[in-house]
Amino acid sequence: MLGLAARRAVYLVPVLLAVTFLTFLIASLLPGDLAFAILGDQATPETVAALRHDMGLDQPALWRYLRWLAGVLQGDLGRSYRTGESVLDAVLGRLPVSLELMVAAEITAFVVAIPIAILCAARAGTGFDRLATGIAFAKLSIPSFMVAILLIYLFAVQLRLFPATGYVPFGEDPLGNLRSLVLPALTLAIGEWPVLMRVLRSDMIATLQEDFIALAKAKGLRPRRILLVHALKPSSLTLVTVAGINIGRLIGGTVIVESIFALPGIGRLLIGAIYTRDFMILQGVVLFVAAGFVMVNFLVDTLYALLDPRIRHGH
Amino acid sequence: MVAGIAPIDAYPIVGPPIDPRASRKGTRGEEPAMDAALRLTCLARIIALSVVAFLPVGQAAAQKQGGSITVGLELDIAGFDPLKVGVFDTSGNMAASLIFDTLTHLDENGEAQPKLALSWTHSEDYKDWTFRLRPDAKFHDGTPFNAQAVKFNIDRQKDPKNKCRCAFYIANIKEVEARDDLTVVFHLTDPSVTLPKLLTIPSSNFVMQSPTAMLAKGDDYNRNPVGTGPFVIKSWTAGDRLVLERNAGYWDRTRPYLDRVVMRPLPDSQARFASLEAGESDLIWDDEYDSDNILKAKNDRALKVHEYVGSGATVYAFNTKLEPFDDVRVRQALVMAIDRKKMSQALTNGLSRPATNPYGEGSWVKCTDDGALPHDLGKAQALLKEYGKPVKFKTLVTATPRGRANGQVLQQFWKDAGAEMEIEQVDQTAIVTRAFARKFDLTPWRIVDLADPDPQMYANFHTGSPSALANYSNLDLDKLLEHARATADPRERTEDYCAVSRLLNKEAIWFWTFQNTYYAIAKAKLKGLPKLYSGVIDVSPTWLE
Repeated sequence: MLGLAARRAVYLVPVLLAVTFLTFLIASLLPGDLAFAILGDQATPETVAALRHDMGLDQPALWRYLRWLAGVLQGDLGRSYRTGESVLDAVLGRLPVSLELMVAAEITAFVVAIPIAILCAARAGTGFDRLATGIAFAKLSIPSFMVAILLIYLFAVQLRLFPATGYVPFGEDPLGNLRSLVLPALTLAIGEWPVLMRVLRSDMIATLQEDFIALAKAKGLRPRRILLVHALKPSSLTLVTVAGINIGRLIGGTVIVESIFALPGIGRLLIGAIYTRDFMILQGVVLFVAAGFVMVNFLVDTLYALLDPRIRHGH
Repeated sequence: MVAGIAPIDAYPIVGPPIDPRASRKGTRGEEPAMDAALRLTCLARIIALSVVAFLPVGQAAAQKQGGSITVGLELDIAGFDPLKVGVFDTSGNMAASLIFDTLTHLDENGEAQPKLALSWTHSEDYKDWTFRLRPDAKFHDGTPFNAQAVKFNIDRQKDPKNKCRCAFYIANIKEVEARDDLTVVFHLTDPSVTLPKLLTIPSSNFVMQSPTAMLAKGDDYNRNPVGTGPFVIKSWTAGDRLVLERNAGYWDRTRPYLDRVVMRPLPDSQARFASLEAGESDLIWDDEYDSDNILKAKNDRALKVHEYVGSGATVYAFNTKLEPFDDVRVRQALVMAIDRKKMSQALTNGLSRPATNPYGEGSWVKCTDDGALPHDLGKAQALLKEYGKPVKFKTLVTATPRGRANGQVLQQFWKDAGAEMEIEQVDQTAIVTRAFARKFDLTPWRIVDLADPDPQMYANFHTGSPSALANYSNLDLDKLLEHARATADPRERTEDYCAVSRLLNKEAIWFWTFQNTYYAIAKAKLKGLPKLYSGVIDVSPTWLE
């Protein structure tokens, strides 16, 4: 088990190197020179050249990347070109908000998806199954920004149950914190649960055809026990995979959701960095997001081994 | 020399302007109502001015003390150090109007009134302005506000070593001299009759920041600014909220009325309006592209739409050095093909006001004949036919829904006239870059709301200026612009600027689509909001009823 973890950890390094290097390249290829952006109307060929030199922008991209990398290895992610803020502080200050949002969204999605999937699988082909899969399908085709606006209108403007925008830190007011996360997390979860539900439902239907389920039934086990204990675990492999891969989608979703609900997370930081050509912040956020994504998938891989002994033993 | 800035942002600017209404030589720029005060002794005058200056027109003493409001901004605030952020955006200006003071402020009639400066005089040639400063103002960190502080602020921005983008906008200030503790002299490179008016904008150039704090905090100053303003920063969570509390030691003992102002960036316009409806915000920034909500708010008794028609306009510049725009017939044809009313209806439910000149209704320049080309599709088609060659070109638009929508509407008008326009979507930074490098056929731009047209008109149209984007040179135009900036008589200046408008419209090197209109939607109980000059919503004098 530890050997497996160590092997996977080694993969992290090249992945992170590749991701950060590609981001660096993409950032360098973006139209709109940073020196121009900073100097604006004051930009003359001479002032632009001088500022580019000061910021090291006249160096080759590879050299700049290596310098940035050397800084990262020493724990220095640089400072924002625009605000002078330390990149590490900026990212760490915003990360908890996004993490909390994503965890809340993922939990909500699981809480909704798993019971519905089990019920659908147990009653495959019935009216309930068709209704639930129909709703899930319809949900997949509604974009998250629209869901967000509808939720705000219903729960914040009309019913006044939850705040329309903003974030309350947990330390300041735990209840307020949860209230401020309900609508954003629900928006993300509404986009997530249909995917999880459909995957689990189809896997479970397949599992329910297996011989060991027939045996369990023959032994007279109660249907609930068969579903929850015997069928659920072997059916969750794809679910876990999809949930892991979906983290990428979820991060993408937070960018939109954080902007709409005005949450001070890394999604907003990223958007701002792109608009203002603040490459240092951009690079810092991407590094953290990529590392997070890789880590989650690493955990998913590890979880496989727990769910399925064959993987653990290298079969 | 100075410029309005590309399409959406409104950057406050300054240059060498001339005030048409300040006709008395060597006197201060106060309004006539203050004449009596001027005859008083010096001390009495100081007291009179400082009291009068802060009584907004038409407001009885019904102001209520106390309360807290939340303001919904469009953008995150990047910070307040001019060396870091260069220029403040709209959100930055709004927060700056609370934390800092400027030397002067604009009253409801658009006249400069005392703020940190109590009075001012100028030399005969309007190139030297002497300001007498308020003796009782202190920065929030205890540093006294004085002439040295003013000098430090301006010098720091102008220092070539600091490479501040902000320096561009004060290029006209040659030197600031601290004559004594409370007397500061602005020496200008060109005459400026409107300097006290231009100093009113709470921009990165003109808000007074604590020299002690700037020196002591270094890189951290940007997010820990210190001013003399009516509010002090209590806490600031980046991207979430800036909490400001009443400055108990404010030099104006009667103000501010509010105890607390919370500023929150709410980037999504629908969510911003929802936060107002849900009672989380008391005032939000808005613009006409959010017309549905503005129209909805106008019909809601609990809300009040504050609307200010400023000077300036949304504009487009042709690159006259490139084919087909090197031919005036093509430029005229394209301008005549535009139906601004239809365009306003399509884009903003008719809220946008069509513009026929660069000045707008909010400007003091009123032309009986601005030479606007009429909307005439037949004539446009005929001109393009006369040109004889196919008209194909690209238009830069911002890669945003509104940028695309603008492009598509224009594209349709020009297709009807027989021209083929391709939309090129780029982001705003790229538009600035491309515009200054003259790498465009047609680019969007903006002339911002300013107390006087001179800085922007001179910058945008005088031969050789970096922001004369059309690459166009005309000696008559240059002469008119030069005359307008060196003349004090408002009638003469109006004639100059109207002649400029006629010339520009005839040559069609730029064209104007809509006038600048600024919006704030607030709870009806929020009172005392001043005019939204330059699009800045200044809540510092407001109170809750």
